[in-house]
Amino acid sequence: MTTTSLPNRWNLPDLGLGVGLRTQHFRYITEHWPAMDWFEILSENFIDTEGRPLWYLDQIAERYPIVMHGVCLSVGSTDPVDFGFLDKLRTLAGRVKAVWLGDHICWTGVAGINGHDLYPVPYTEEGLRHMISRVRIIQDYLERPLILENPSTYLTFSASSMPEEEFIARLAIEADCALLLDVNNVYVTCRNHDLDPVAYLDAIPYEHVVQVHLAGHTDNGTHCIDTHDGHVIDEVWQLYKRVHDRTGGRATLLEWDANIPKFAVLQREVRKALRFRNGAQAAAKQVAA
Amino acid sequence: MNLRESPRLETLERWMQTVVMHPEGAAAGVRSRPARKLLPEAAVDLENVVLPSRALSSVERLDIYAHMYYARLLEILVEEYPTTRQILGRHEFTHACRRFLERNPSKSRTLNLLSERFPEFLGRSLPRGHRNGLAVDVARIERAMEDVFDARRAEPLTAAEFTGIGAADWQHVRLTLVPALRFLKLRYPANDYMNAVRRGQKPRIPRRRPTTAIVYRRGFQVFRRDQEPAQFRLLKALASGRTLAQAVRANAHGKRVSADRLAATLGAWFREWAAAGLFCGVDHARRPRTR
Repeated sequence: MTTTSLPNRWNLPDLGLGVGLRTQHFRYITEHWPAMDWFEILSENFIDTEGRPLWYLDQIAERYPIVMHGVCLSVGSTDPVDFGFLDKLRTLAGRVKAVWLGDHICWTGVAGINGHDLYPVPYTEEGLRHMISRVRIIQDYLERPLILENPSTYLTFSASSMPEEEFIARLAIEADCALLLDVNNVYVTCRNHDLDPVAYLDAIPYEHVVQVHLAGHTDNGTHCIDTHDGHVIDEVWQLYKRVHDRTGGRATLLEWDANIPKFAVLQREVRKALRFRNGAQAAAKQVAA
Repeated sequence: MNLRESPRLETLERWMQTVVMHPEGAAAGVRSRPARKLLPEAAVDLENVVLPSRALSSVERLDIYAHMYYARLLEILVEEYPTTRQILGRHEFTHACRRFLERNPSKSRTLNLLSERFPEFLGRSLPRGHRNGLAVDVARIERAMEDVFDARRAEPLTAAEFTGIGAADWQHVRLTLVPALRFLKLRYPANDYMNAVRRGQKPRIPRRRPTTAIVYRRGFQVFRRDQEPAQFRLLKALASGRTLAQAVRANAHGKRVSADRLAATLGAWFREWAAAGLFCGVDHARRPRTR
């Protein structure tokens, strides 16, 4: 496939290669200031706290670009939008000068309860209208595009009337929000639902994609779980290459949240993306010439 | 199922949440009365609501979420209450956590407050006995440690700021205590017990003996220490906004203490509190005017 250089519609930058900022690496990072293009934080870990994590984050944000990625915005929930939480997100974004902020295409709870998990939305017209309306409200309030990630899903509602990728594409276009394309989640979801990941990727509107996630998962044979506890498998790297060929370069982040290794392991793992990024850039230059 | 028959989004979300948060798993969740009330057809034919995959049945797919719900939150409670868990044992602790989560689901966007009511829950639900009494007290200390970890920052008074308080002013000033400070009246010597565990010892369950302790953060490190009852009462009185003179009077309970002895005791306590960084402000504003 020929590499295409396709800017995203907000001209948000390709930040290069980053990793998720985790407690285990705070000290190493602030003592060694290792080579890393950027960091992504889990927004909720730095809200309602003024302890040591925030102190480390303040220092790290002085030296590296920070992106905020949340897990509890619950965009798909039928509960009212929590504007107080949006205020907290906005305050944190200002504090760390977040390049962008986002969450997931999911809901995390209803009736005032939070399950702290990414629950799947039924892919119905009602579900789509609901999410579009919520995304618009949140974006208007935050005065910035919301970057929403495709989650790993483990079930399909019988009520769903469209495939996940169509739901996501229509959400991005009609709500005019940005996408964080997690290629590991694409792999996991497609394995769990017997879908074709290439067809999934081909349906994505890439002008809306501003960021890509990479991660490891656990293959239980009957199904895969998005555990973020190991290396990125070859099949996922091939999906990453495909996304890269379609975009010409998007901010790329490695997630590793369980059995967290030394920082150097993360550096080596995320740098594997260079073989596709450099190859793609070289190919793009050749096409341009 | 066609679109016309589809449950409304809100119903579907409430149903799924009810099912995956059921303490006995998704199958029991689907059969539960609240779930049947929301979606009766799911109890009759679950595939009408959740499709099976090639390898998993509908209920097995729901069980993935049900398992992850408890696994994730239990992991947090295990991390926050290591000594409570050591006292109760893994099995009993896990059982208590599951019952707690069943009755107290998270209502916060962050997980900081998840276990806010866990010590109180243990106090209500565990049978009486020295072991369980100690576990409740240790849980209160461990919860306080979480609270002060996240509490608002405040710079402690410097030595110069302390010495800047004139001798004549001391009894009239109001001292502000740092937000990262908690007061605990305990029924057992729980702090001693935790210290012994931390040293790698295997202490016996102590008999009931009331103790008073504070938990606080100095910089970004969390500390806990016992306080003598009078010392505890005085610090708490200062935290409530009383002047030193008022706090000492309230603490004296009519007892007569010699001025020298009082000065020596207060001096030692204040040195200890100042070294711990417990004070962050001095308010001279309400000093009575002299005529």
